[in-house]
Amino acid sequence: MSAFSWTGNPVFSIAVTILAYAAALALHRRWKWFSPIVAACLPIVAVLLLLREPYSIYNRGGGFLTWWLGPATVALGFPMHRHGVALRRSLPRLALVVFAGSVVGMTTAGLTAWLLHAPLPVVMSAVPKSVTTPIAIEVCRELNGIPQITIAMVILAGVLGATLGVPILRLARLRDDRVIGAAIGTASHGIGTASLVRRSEMQATVSSWAMAAAGVFTSLLAAALAMLMRW
Amino acid sequence: MMERMDYLFGTAILVGFFLVGSLLHRVGVPIPGGVLGMLLFYLALSSRLLKPAWVERASTLLLRHMVLLFVPLTVGLMDMGKLLSRQWLAIAASLLISFLAVLLTTGLLGRWLLPAEPDAPAPQTGKAAQGAGR
Repeated sequence: MSAFSWTGNPVFSIAVTILAYAAALALHRRWKWFSPIVAACLPIVAVLLLLREPYSIYNRGGGFLTWWLGPATVALGFPMHRHGVALRRSLPRLALVVFAGSVVGMTTAGLTAWLLHAPLPVVMSAVPKSVTTPIAIEVCRELNGIPQITIAMVILAGVLGATLGVPILRLARLRDDRVIGAAIGTASHGIGTASLVRRSEMQATVSSWAMAAAGVFTSLLAAALAMLMRW
Repeated sequence: MMERMDYLFGTAILVGFFLVGSLLHRVGVPIPGGVLGMLLFYLALSSRLLKPAWVERASTLLLRHMVLLFVPLTVGLMDMGKLLSRQWLAIAASLLISFLAVLLTTGLLGRWLLPAEPDAPAPQTGKAAQGAGR
């Protein structure tokens, strides 16, 4: 239990989270390379460890913020619509690109873990690591994986994309807005997409499309894989 | 109708679509509520059932601060150390290799298949301009 009873109040977690986020944004504005998601999380973890407050208590308030991810995901439909006219002709090609990326992501994640002698449930937990958390959890359950491992990998894949995604693409000389959006949305779902919103509306839009398509493709492919495995 | 509806009304619409999506998911559609809600919301905007002005402010606000909403989940990584440490090599290698593979496959394939067409900023052709009329 926490040393101070008032820290157990959900309002405390929400306030600390918003404060840390605001500070992270200020740092990000000053130094562009500062990743808001990492900069916001580290001080919160430090405070929790310092106050000896378990994550489960913090998350009573944190859960209120997490719930809003649902409506926020819905809101991604707004830029999708606004740029829909400009994008409509490229959508079938974008779908093809995202489909290829999803297949590569699922197979490389599973194969790498398998080649390193991870037990089957761990291998299966790695397969859906590129898609948004709710889809990934369902896919993981369907493949008899371990949901906690999937959640950790999904978040890490998102943070990787939000921090290193654009620099890596730059190194590969990939700078076009659509290409960046497609790659980040497919590899790093909502966390990657959220990191693009402040950069460019076009990147965020393509990323939203890619993230949605990757989620749908991955759940369909996983359903097929699960059927094959039962056979 | 007012030119621009306020945040509260727009937020209520977004929440409504999320709840409808979640309900459909619970009934058996194999796509999560948020993503389903997003697709329905997009269709509603495209078919002009919803006016963009009703939801513009609320959507923009939520999207601009979407990173904040991911913070509590990410802080949760602090509890997963023990679980991850047993298979850390396989998990880390799988994560990194697969992340790079997806990013570069999508990126390179995208550069080939998604050329920066002139239709990007402002649709100029007659057909596109017609569709863009808001």
